[in-house]
Amino acid sequence: MTGQTGEARRLPPAIDAVGLRRVYDVKPKAVTALDGVDLQVPPGEFFGLLGPNGAGKTTLIKILTTLLLPSSGSARIFGFDVATETRRIRRIMNMVAGGEQSGYGILTVREQLWMFSQFYGLGTREGWRRVDELIEAVGLGEQRLQRVSTLSTGQRQKMNMARGLLNDPWILFLDEPTLGLDVSAARGIREQVLAWKAAIPGRTVLLTTHYMAEADELCERIAIVDRGRILAIGTPAELKHRVQRDSIFRLQVDRLDGGPASLARLPGVVSAALASDTAPDAQHVTVNLVLHEDAALGGVVTALAGMRSQIRSLGKSEPTLEDVFVALVGRGLADEADDTEPMPPSSADEDVAAAHAQAHDPETGG
Amino acid sequence: MAVTEPLSAAVGGIGDPARAEGRGLVDTLRHIRAALLLGWRVESNWADPVLFAIYTVIRPVSSMLLLTVMVTIVGGSADATARTFVILGSALWAMLVSGLAGPAWSVLEDRERYRTLKYLYTSPATFLVLLAGRGGARLLTGAMGTLVALLFAVVALGLRIDPMAVDWPLLVVTMLLGLPPVLALGIVLAAVCLQTRQESWNYPDAFAGAMFLVSGVVFPLAILPDWLEAVGLVNPITWWVAGVRRAVLPDGPSSIGGTGSLWTAVTGTAAPDPLTLIGGLFLTGAMTTLVATALFRGSERRARDRGLLDRTTGS
Amino acid sequence: MSAEPARADSGTADATPTGQLTPAERRLAADPRITADWTRRQTAETNLRALAGRAYPRVRGMFREPSWVIFEILLPFLGTSAYVLVYRALKAPEEYVGFVVLGGALSAFWLNVVWSMAGQLYWEKSQGNLELYFAAPMSLMAVLLGMAAGGLAMSSTRAAAVLVISASVFGVQFDVQQWWLVCVVFVLTLTALYGLGMMMASLFLLWGREAWHLTNVMVEPVYFVSGLNFPVGRLGAIGVAAIAFIPFAVGLDAMRQLAFPHSDLLVGTPPPEIEALILVAMTVVFTGAARWCMTTIERMARSRGSLSIRWQ
Repeated sequence: MTGQTGEARRLPPAIDAVGLRRVYDVKPKAVTALDGVDLQVPPGEFFGLLGPNGAGKTTLIKILTTLLLPSSGSARIFGFDVATETRRIRRIMNMVAGGEQSGYGILTVREQLWMFSQFYGLGTREGWRRVDELIEAVGLGEQRLQRVSTLSTGQRQKMNMARGLLNDPWILFLDEPTLGLDVSAARGIREQVLAWKAAIPGRTVLLTTHYMAEADELCERIAIVDRGRILAIGTPAELKHRVQRDSIFRLQVDRLDGGPASLARLPGVVSAALASDTAPDAQHVTVNLVLHEDAALGGVVTALAGMRSQIRSLGKSEPTLEDVFVALVGRGLADEADDTEPMPPSSADEDVAAAHAQAHDPETGG
Repeated sequence: MAVTEPLSAAVGGIGDPARAEGRGLVDTLRHIRAALLLGWRVESNWADPVLFAIYTVIRPVSSMLLLTVMVTIVGGSADATARTFVILGSALWAMLVSGLAGPAWSVLEDRERYRTLKYLYTSPATFLVLLAGRGGARLLTGAMGTLVALLFAVVALGLRIDPMAVDWPLLVVTMLLGLPPVLALGIVLAAVCLQTRQESWNYPDAFAGAMFLVSGVVFPLAILPDWLEAVGLVNPITWWVAGVRRAVLPDGPSSIGGTGSLWTAVTGTAAPDPLTLIGGLFLTGAMTTLVATALFRGSERRARDRGLLDRTTGS
Repeated sequence: MSAEPARADSGTADATPTGQLTPAERRLAADPRITADWTRRQTAETNLRALAGRAYPRVRGMFREPSWVIFEILLPFLGTSAYVLVYRALKAPEEYVGFVVLGGALSAFWLNVVWSMAGQLYWEKSQGNLELYFAAPMSLMAVLLGMAAGGLAMSSTRAAAVLVISASVFGVQFDVQQWWLVCVVFVLTLTALYGLGMMMASLFLLWGREAWHLTNVMVEPVYFVSGLNFPVGRLGAIGVAAIAFIPFAVGLDAMRQLAFPHSDLLVGTPPPEIEALILVAMTVVFTGAARWCMTTIERMARSRGSLSIRWQ
């Protein structure tokens, strides 16, 4: 799952950050964007930084891409120091940011990319060949001779992605690459990145995003960042497992004699409660079940059969990365970093949280 | 933070039918005022001595010195009259260049630097009015430069102006009548810049340099061939400069007329009198303003058609 | 996405000294440390390619938006004509017309430096290109040189047009005796001018948007102290200072002396050979200062975090 080859294991870490701090000296009060970040990413990994706006993701990427110096601490890219070995790092990395408006409107897509290919030392002919190849790969074949100033947002981002892949970087930094794109364009970007990574084993990708689904889909490991600190690191499954010890099911039956209490008494059932979003005149009963483990579900089904209740639907509630974030930080991913007011949960979420709270006190630490 | 109260009808909120229709002249005047204020805030540099020095002292004085030295070093063939002629014209030039550059640079700044052009354009305010307002603010800044240059000329270059001899009514009328055509020419440049790229920053300077030739600023139009002199006579700047010269130095030479000039050949007079100057300024100014408005509208339409209003350019 | 050619695995790379790897092989090597380790030749080639790459948009832009023909050739010719007519009105010696024409032609390069070089990095930052340039492996000096080379194409066209048209229309007679020296002085003037432009570009980047205003102080004031339309020697001490510090002043005066070698109006300035040496010194100083500035400014910008902040 980590994508490491035997060769990759002999290489130094793609990213090795120790105690990274970055303070911006702004008025009226200095801002600490990064507050002691330790991070190690092995070669070949698709690593994600997930956090709200203002968490420090972009600051971290700018340090790692040699655009910004840390206030203290150190960071290395494949063993090269970001502060002192910038030239070497720039030869093996590239970056693509979301919402980029860079480039020269007067040039065509093909010319724009060729210009950048020259910046990375590709030969003239090699540059054109590589540009034409990437234009087809990202799906801009029809726009290749179109001026950059006439591209749509999605097309421009595809062009930016092609630019990011020109030099086959050993490490590709993606700073919210799908920002502002529609579903189809965003999916296209993600597919391009995955395809490129699959085509050249050993390449590392660092992705920052505040879209949970994107991080969940793409990343092998994720670090959750907030207020300049990494709160947790792990695979998506590991992170979700942190906040969910019990199995939570949403069960809909045609009738339930004795109400949820009849299920709560069963072995392995932590709690059973009526879902608050059930309409009073509904022809069914919806129950939120919290079980110690999935295996206890069998007993519930047997009991329901004994009660002559017919199961209409049964679904398992998985925590999302946002649940992970809320559990770690106490507010939603969409909230600003300095906004302490939490997002109001949905009624369904309230039920789940209430059922969970009946059996356990939620863990709020990192 | 939630918006809890809708705008009341009194301020054009929900329930006010005028909100979609606008309020005609009231809105226009308000937009001009807002644009002037915005332009003033953006352009004025009173609080920063360095910027004040650059725009209001160094540039105007340098322009004046450039021409004054040209006249002075020629030596015996130049006299005090020629120096005075050149000094007064070049002092006015600071204001002219500011007025020409104002609308054009506003387009470039708003499109390239502040990225607000599309927002200004889609606001209820008339875009032309906004540009004119911004240009007006820069024109006022240029006027300060003209005053500083004149002061310098009086103190350091020996320019003699007798306040008692100045024709103040003519000066006021000429200045007031001259502002709209200057802005109009700036609007023409703005129309060009709507179509061109970021590298158009120096277009106003280039245009102003060309205007030197046909506006009687630094030499009488009589020197030009007849066809060029005719171009100069339909140029409102020529009448503006001549009117200011006549007002400030009633006994000084005029840039219009003189021996061998087309003006003298056609009208039989050595130089236009004050009323003729005002009339010429009004007519040429009105024509220029109408043409500039039409050109701007055309450029605006083309820019909308080609999606140029929200592009950023650069090479 | 098409399959990439097989990578040079570590076995192959070990067998072949890394200095003999082609750029493509180096790019696809099995170890990033091989990819990152460029030879001097590769570094130099990349910088040259970057120069060509950066010049490309400027040259392309010339052909894709022809409005510059009016604003960069016709109007400047008219502006030059105005100054010529001033001298004709004053009945000045005909050499002054030649001085004006040469000044008008050479001013094309000065304006290119001021408008298209000095503030250009600030514009690049504003557009988001600057951080991409810094993140790329080429030297930023190559980018600046590319901007200069690209701008030179348009400026040369303007200068040539103004010179030829004005000289023809106004009957200017140049009397060049040392063509080789004219060419050398011209080239040195350009190198000094664009060296200054590169230095200003890096300084403007440091000073941010306020630096744009300095562009305005470098037109008319420099025209005056450089003697755009008159011999700079007539300005006395001011002229001497201009000769010492402003490449436009030195180059223009040297070109005038070489174009009108028998004129007794060009007094108070060193002979063109000395001025050529001054231009050499300026080129070295400005280019060296530009390089130092770029390194320092990159370090400061990385420290302050201002590489990608548009409003700074």
